[in-house]
Amino acid sequence: MKHSYKTFAYFPLALLIAMIFLFSSCKVEPISDPNNPALTSIEQNASIGEIQNLVDGIESGMRDNMAFYFDDAGAIGREFYRFSTSDPRYVTELLGKGNAELDNNTFYISRPYSAIYRVIKNTNILISALKNTKADISEAQRKVGTAYAKTIQSYELLLAFNLEYGNGIRVDVADPSNLGPFLSQEESINAIQDLLNAANADLIGSLDKFPFSSSIYTNEAATFSKFNRALAARVAVYREDWAQAGTALSESFFDLNGSLTMGAYYLYSTAGGDQLNPLYTPLNTSGETRVVEPSFITDAAPGDTRVAAKTSKRNETALQDDLKSDYDFYVYKSNTASIPIIRNEELILLYAEAHAQLADPVNAVKAINIIRHSASLADYTGATDLNSLINEILKQRRYSLYGEGHRWIDMRRYDKLDELPIARPGDNVWVQFPRPINEL
Amino acid sequence: MRNFPKHVMVFLLILAIPFAVCAQFTVTGTVTGVGGDPLSGASVKLKNSTDVGVTTTASGKFSISLPGKSGILDVSFVGYKSESFSVDPSTGNLNIALAQDASNLEEVVVTGLATNIKRSNLANAVASISANDLVGTTTQATLDGALYGKFTGANISSNSGAPGSGISVKLRGVTSIIGNSQPLFIVDGVYYDNSSIDNGLNAVSKAAAQGSSVLQNNPSNRLADLNPDDIERVEILKGASTAAIYGAKAAGGVVIITTKKGKSGKTKVEFSQSTGIQMQLRKLGGRTWDAAKVEDAFDSLGLALYNAVGGKTFNYEDELYGQKGLMNNSRLSLSGGNDRTTFYTGFTYENDNGIIRRTGYEKKNFRVNLTQKAFKFLDLSLNYNYVESESNRAFFNNDNTGATLGVSFISTPWWIDLHPDANGNYPNNPVATSNFLQTRDLITNREKVNRTLLGGTATFKILNSGKHNVKVIANGGIDYYTLNTLGIFPKELQFEKEGNGTNGLSTYGTTITRNQNASMIAVYQFSASQKLNSRTQAGLTAEDVDQNTVMATATQLIGTQTNVNQAGAVQPYQNKILQKDRGFFAQEEVNYNDIFIGTAGLRGDRSSRNGDANKIYYFPKASLAINIANMPFWNWEQVSQLKLRAAYGESGNFAPFGAIYTPLVPVIYNGTTGSLIDVIQGNDKLEPERQKELELGIDFSLLQNRISFEGTYYVKKANDLILPVVIPNSSGFTNSWQNAANIRNRGVELQVNAIPVASKDWNWNIQVLYWKNTAIVTRLDLPPFNTGGFGSTLGTYRVQKGLSPTQIVGTAGPKDKVDPISGLGLLGNSEPDFQLSFTNNLKWKNFELSVLCHWKNGGSNINLTNFLSDLFATSPDYDDKTLDPTGTLSNGPYRLQESNNTASIWVQDATYFRVREMAVNYRLPDFIKGVSQIKVGLSAHNLINVFKYGSYDPEVSNFGISAINTNVEVTPFPTSKSVHFNVSVTF
Repeated sequence: MKHSYKTFAYFPLALLIAMIFLFSSCKVEPISDPNNPALTSIEQNASIGEIQNLVDGIESGMRDNMAFYFDDAGAIGREFYRFSTSDPRYVTELLGKGNAELDNNTFYISRPYSAIYRVIKNTNILISALKNTKADISEAQRKVGTAYAKTIQSYELLLAFNLEYGNGIRVDVADPSNLGPFLSQEESINAIQDLLNAANADLIGSLDKFPFSSSIYTNEAATFSKFNRALAARVAVYREDWAQAGTALSESFFDLNGSLTMGAYYLYSTAGGDQLNPLYTPLNTSGETRVVEPSFITDAAPGDTRVAAKTSKRNETALQDDLKSDYDFYVYKSNTASIPIIRNEELILLYAEAHAQLADPVNAVKAINIIRHSASLADYTGATDLNSLINEILKQRRYSLYGEGHRWIDMRRYDKLDELPIARPGDNVWVQFPRPINEL
Repeated sequence: MRNFPKHVMVFLLILAIPFAVCAQFTVTGTVTGVGGDPLSGASVKLKNSTDVGVTTTASGKFSISLPGKSGILDVSFVGYKSESFSVDPSTGNLNIALAQDASNLEEVVVTGLATNIKRSNLANAVASISANDLVGTTTQATLDGALYGKFTGANISSNSGAPGSGISVKLRGVTSIIGNSQPLFIVDGVYYDNSSIDNGLNAVSKAAAQGSSVLQNNPSNRLADLNPDDIERVEILKGASTAAIYGAKAAGGVVIITTKKGKSGKTKVEFSQSTGIQMQLRKLGGRTWDAAKVEDAFDSLGLALYNAVGGKTFNYEDELYGQKGLMNNSRLSLSGGNDRTTFYTGFTYENDNGIIRRTGYEKKNFRVNLTQKAFKFLDLSLNYNYVESESNRAFFNNDNTGATLGVSFISTPWWIDLHPDANGNYPNNPVATSNFLQTRDLITNREKVNRTLLGGTATFKILNSGKHNVKVIANGGIDYYTLNTLGIFPKELQFEKEGNGTNGLSTYGTTITRNQNASMIAVYQFSASQKLNSRTQAGLTAEDVDQNTVMATATQLIGTQTNVNQAGAVQPYQNKILQKDRGFFAQEEVNYNDIFIGTAGLRGDRSSRNGDANKIYYFPKASLAINIANMPFWNWEQVSQLKLRAAYGESGNFAPFGAIYTPLVPVIYNGTTGSLIDVIQGNDKLEPERQKELELGIDFSLLQNRISFEGTYYVKKANDLILPVVIPNSSGFTNSWQNAANIRNRGVELQVNAIPVASKDWNWNIQVLYWKNTAIVTRLDLPPFNTGGFGSTLGTYRVQKGLSPTQIVGTAGPKDKVDPISGLGLLGNSEPDFQLSFTNNLKWKNFELSVLCHWKNGGSNINLTNFLSDLFATSPDYDDKTLDPTGTLSNGPYRLQESNNTASIWVQDATYFRVREMAVNYRLPDFIKGVSQIKVGLSAHNLINVFKYGSYDPEVSNFGISAINTNVEVTPFPTSKSVHFNVSVTF
């Protein structure tokens, strides 16, 4: 009895000593996020499926808060009014009413800005994932996949640049804890061009497919290059590098005789959890609506079919804060209509602009006429000096690309913001948005 | 140690015990207390022995077999002064009358994982609540409700009056800003999960859709599953200075619960039955109407409706909240045992109907506690508890769809007829989006819980030589439960049909929680001399948490079907919480002659909740108590105790679950699912929130312990509080989790116990508690921000350096004090100025009267029930003219007009005085043979309430157990008061 007592009794003591030893040597197994895929594991070793998820995440995220972007550009560019009973700031601050100023912490800049950089973050994750994945993907596929990511990234940076303009943007944002500097206006747009060019170098002439499927334009690297070049042409024109614009156009999906709607789009659907086209504005609604800036109707050339195609006469005049309109914004006919990212109609007009600037009025007018014919207008008969041609091109861009976020940027490029119509006395036209407060 | 030689003798005697095993004798006796009443459960044990001891029976009798030829018996009972008696074979029958002790100096207080300490030697203000304090006065549905007003330093509030409703317990002020602020509950060594689990009804209320992402469904918390009747005692470790030994999880404090154990002796059978009714705590009444008022508020449409019913009004408050809910609580317990084995088994059936039709709470609770002295060196104990409960909770709180009963009730004037026709078809509510009578009668919001708690302890007594005493305690437990939430909103509801809703909605959720914990602790007691002894302990702990919630929300229901697959659309949801913690601790206590009692300890914790799962975080503690009255020079007889104490400790609080991860969230695009980076950046470098608390106190007892005083001052710093800090959005994230704030709490806690009268027939006990806390934000690494509530025009919380974290700010009028930085008015603070509770216990012969009063002074609520009722022109005082100083506007329009200038209109004083518990009991004289006691009584809960606050009850929270932004009310389930008739019979 005595013997067994001791044996039993010392046993737990020995166990305890063993456990203390265990505590110092044995580790707590870290638990990875049980509810969501974790960033680190995707960056370190993503599966093929996870890479596809990242791409779908990018293409879905590209649409996030774009309604604010289009409303910003459309309102300041005096294309349409965004009437809202729940938020009057669309018709006060955005339109520079009286002493109203743009705020650096309000939805019209903070929401599109953060959504844009969120997509950029996802593209950087995709780049890391493609670099590190142990999935069976060839080097060439990793390369073209990365080029896809960079192309999307440069498009998103361009959107940020369009809003911030003279304030410049951050381009190097790969490391959240060590963000690159804000570049100047010129450095920003040049960096975007460089990024597009670098991506295109890996895309052009490639025989590879992306190691994933994309709904933006295509899965073929070489074909995707044409989308990249279309964006490059837009950026080159913004940079007034007319020669490069011409080269980029020739390598893009630009087609003088092709369909004007050919291009890349944001897609929408009614499927559960998917997004609806936020710019679709049901006719004759009051409260939350978009209505046409009246001069868009009155300035139109007689018979311009684009007016009827993109607007609709209201039953009742829409009114808010001394602004009124008799026409609904009706570019999108349903809540699942696609919104263009870039399309052939813009490319044809970029072609016209580049050729006008390169002192080639013949080709410029040729392109202008293609657009005019599409709107049932007769050939251009005006003067062919540079100034006249640019004015004509700006007008065609106004009607062809109505509501697609161009008018404000085009007028800004040519320093013509003061020519935008001011329907309400005392309103101002903003050049750019302030840098968001969270960046200060 | 004045009788030194005697103690040496006893000491030698005890050493001699093992060598004199043959000699044995028996002592019998009776222990009595106040007025000669027998004391049941008093401890009678051989001095300095851990083995030889019994407890008295229900009639106060005991019989103890003692080894050797003589010995000293220690007789003790909680609330009484201990006595010692020398006994030998000639002693025979002892009649022992114990004297009451207001200071409870002999009480043994559980303060750590394996050891306990006499209250007189305690260096901390640990609150202890006995079974009698807890449930002795009146029937208690839940433990947390039973605690309020019974100890200092707590701010407890029920979130609403819904059956099984969640209760928020906050100890010593503000512990966190967005992290957990609730204490850790430990039942017989088992970590007791107290999660608040969402019921999915946001899909109907859309309360969290706009502006606020905080769910406002008022989920219950799972402490409701614990049966208060099974509890023997509760110890509350309020801050880090005491709770440090629990380390990384203990910032909210620790509540240690010990359940009842059997006592050796005759089997005791106890049956008790309580029957009562509950009713609405405060009725507000309705507005009185006439045609002019109707037309003013509801235009011609309203007037037509008013005329259609002939100007008749219905009392909808009575119809909706007027049910006298029958409450029933039946309990049977058996306990007993012998020298080696004891058992306790209890069964409780509780069935409470709410004050609203089709609401209520039903609980079945079964418990078995066993202890076994398996071998000389091994004691075993086992605790098993099974609970099954069901609560039907109606549908309340804020919503953005007008669907809840509360919002619908408040927006409907009483001349609208909402009653169903003969065929049971309900009319649509013409002035609101839902018909609350229809909603009440047709919806289901049910929670069902099945819970099993299993705990076991093995104590190995390795060495017991008198000088050296070593034991190892191994403890383990499992807490396993399944929670089912069921929400059914049939398609014929006004807010579901005709395109108003989703054509019916059914939500079914299952949460399975499986938590386990284990510890192994070695305790070494060393008596260096008669005067000096020490206790060393060290141990390992491990806790695992595994919680998995799956919920399906079905809409577009098929016919009257409620299965989630009988629907046009189903939205699944799943959330898991996994956690592994491993810790160790070591603690050294030194006691010099009960004069100086010093303790130092260290806890180290690893957890998967930290960014680095293997980093050890250390939490130190130290304390010192000095019993001046025990010093040799002390000869002031009137002061029987004078103790100074100081304690310091640190404890931790984990980041919100998931904060260390940077997840990618699912998005739908073009028929496929994608992964998009979340907008909040996780931070695997997060440090746990760390609390540092210093506590200073003085305790003294006067006049043979008839009066005792306990005073405590503390400084509790909650440092490195975790917040989602705004970062440059070009990073791709809007916020990042960071350690970004410190809060300092300072408070005072005072306690006086007294026995003014103790005679044969009369006995009077008083306890007065006073406590107050003030908090201030001392560090904030980000700009001040508003949080909680519904924006500054209605009053909101604001975290700002230099100000209280619980301050309520809002649009400022000319009379309001304005913060120069934010330009917002400083309109109130949810923290009370002070709280005072007062317990009286008066006995006369066999009668006993107990009253617990609670006065909470100050503290503000954001009363949006009032706002909504004014907005819908239904406030009872809408037409009174008591507010407008110019006397032109009546109250409703005046409040609405003023609220355009200042949010202070809705920030209202929540001061209250409340008689929380009140009871009269009568113990029948012994007249039936075999029955040792029969007690009958009447008791009441929250019967008397005095408050000016303009709603049902100032104790309310729309936002559940949030850390700071509570005290907001939006049409809650009204709270209730109750009266009970109680009978208990002990055999």
